[in-house]
Amino acid sequence: MLRHALHRLLLAVPVLFGVLLIGFLLMQVVPTDPATVRAGPQASAELIAEIRRDLGLDRPLAVQFGLYLWRLVQGDFGVSIINNVPVVQELGATIGPTLELMFASLVWSIPLGIFLGTLGAYYRGTLIDRGVMAISVAGVSIPVFFLGLILIWYVGFKWQWLPFTGRGGPIWTLDGLRSLALPALTLGGVFVGPVSRMTRTAVLDVLSLDHVRTARAKGLSERLVVMRHALRNAMVPVVTLIGLQIGFLLGGAVVTETVFTWPGVGRLAVGAITSSDLPMAQGTIIVLSLGFILVNLIVDVLYAALDPRMRAA
Amino acid sequence: MSATTVTMAPARPGLLRRLTRDPGAAAALIFVVLVLLAAIFAPWLSPTDPFDNDLASSMAPPGTEGLPLGADAQGRNLVTRLLYGLRASLAMGFFAVILGGGIGAALGFLAAFYQRWLDAPIMRLVDIMLSFPAILFGLAIAAILGPGMLAVVLALSVATVPLMARIVRGSALVVMRADYIEAARATGMGDLRLIWRHLAPNCLSALFVFATLRFGQVILLGSALSFLGLGAQPPNPELGAMASEGRNFLFFAPHIAVIPSVAIFAVVLAFNMLGDALRDALDPRLRV
Repeated sequence: MLRHALHRLLLAVPVLFGVLLIGFLLMQVVPTDPATVRAGPQASAELIAEIRRDLGLDRPLAVQFGLYLWRLVQGDFGVSIINNVPVVQELGATIGPTLELMFASLVWSIPLGIFLGTLGAYYRGTLIDRGVMAISVAGVSIPVFFLGLILIWYVGFKWQWLPFTGRGGPIWTLDGLRSLALPALTLGGVFVGPVSRMTRTAVLDVLSLDHVRTARAKGLSERLVVMRHALRNAMVPVVTLIGLQIGFLLGGAVVTETVFTWPGVGRLAVGAITSSDLPMAQGTIIVLSLGFILVNLIVDVLYAALDPRMRAA
Repeated sequence: MSATTVTMAPARPGLLRRLTRDPGAAAALIFVVLVLLAAIFAPWLSPTDPFDNDLASSMAPPGTEGLPLGADAQGRNLVTRLLYGLRASLAMGFFAVILGGGIGAALGFLAAFYQRWLDAPIMRLVDIMLSFPAILFGLAIAAILGPGMLAVVLALSVATVPLMARIVRGSALVVMRADYIEAARATGMGDLRLIWRHLAPNCLSALFVFATLRFGQVILLGSALSFLGLGAQPPNPELGAMASEGRNFLFFAPHIAVIPSVAIFAVVLAFNMLGDALRDALDPRLRV
């Protein structure tokens, strides 16, 4: 298991390097000179030259890349071109809301998806199964923003049940929960489809295995066979596949945040890119990538923990 | 040449008949064909120019005389916008699948054919690319090149390369074990010719199934990027960008956002259903 985790960790190194290189290159195309920005509008030429030297802007690109990495390690992601706020400060303020949104989306959509998928496998070939399949194919085909706009139109605007812009507060407050509800329904809504589809396939695969036949042969009810023998063994592929879908979820989160003006990293990233705020764009892309790499690692380790056979491999 | 026709399957009913046995798949196929025709012939089918605006009919609801789908905030005919929007979205998906799928397929064939020395490096590269979600490619490329259709097509292509490489490699590895590959090699056929004449044709079904499924996904992703403002820029008609424009008028004229959104939903749904049916008909092994 340790070896498996280490292998995945090693694989993450080039990915991380690529991300940081992209971040660095982005900073190279910034039209404004960072030294001039830092020195302020009234600075003398000598001061700017001194800051240039301090920032290493007169050194070769490779050295600058090293210095860039060193600054990142110290939490210096540069300063926004648009509002002069340190990028790291904005990142710190937006990571929490994004994690809230992801958590609130997964906490209901994964159980519901697993339930629907199991239901489909249990009643395979019947109308219920077809219903589950229809929900899942619709779920992977609907644009996230469409689902969001439908919820805004009915729940938020027409029925006036829930707020649909911004974040009312932290997740543990009532206002926070109320404002989180529609974004989480939207993002979770597009996740139910893939999860139920993968669960159904995984349970059906397990149902054809020998130990399930044995369980049936000893007279267990179909419900016990599915619940105790099939579903439990199907969880390994399901967890892996859910892990693989985290990227899909991240994409959905960026769109959901934009639709609901949710103050998360995704919305910050989109705003930075469309307004050419490259230092900010660089910071958000690095943070989103790091989060993604981290989640992948966790899923890999979890996978090994769920399937003892993986530990040896 | 005759060797290529020796596949495992016994005589089966025609592909079209197998596909259309399922009414859902048949409906999806008809819908896809209609949508493709509408997109290709958009300039001839459209009643107006896509940029013609008439502020007098701004936000006209569907069913207004002369405007069956209504008009957007600038008073542009939504029938025209929808046709041109479909054209742009489908073209975006088409180029991304051709470019990314082409490079991915080439990598997959090379990895399988030169298994000894190319498989490991190519698959490592694929693993690395796979550990990046499409949205991040989209954000990064849009940040570097600036938002636009080119950025979206490139991002979607890059995100398609590793997936296609995996599918094709898996399929090609099976074909490589077949006797006719050995036989063709024995005739002294060159590597490239062997790949082109014998390996590739026998992997076509896997390639085709994946390309169909991927086409739907790519359109969905691309429309999301455009919705975010990273793709097609207004006033250019593209379904995601149109939905984004319509979002600003959601409470006054919901049809402006709903029409392009429904169009994306329907097109992606049709491609997904068609892809699933194709997979079942052509290559059940690909079932995921």
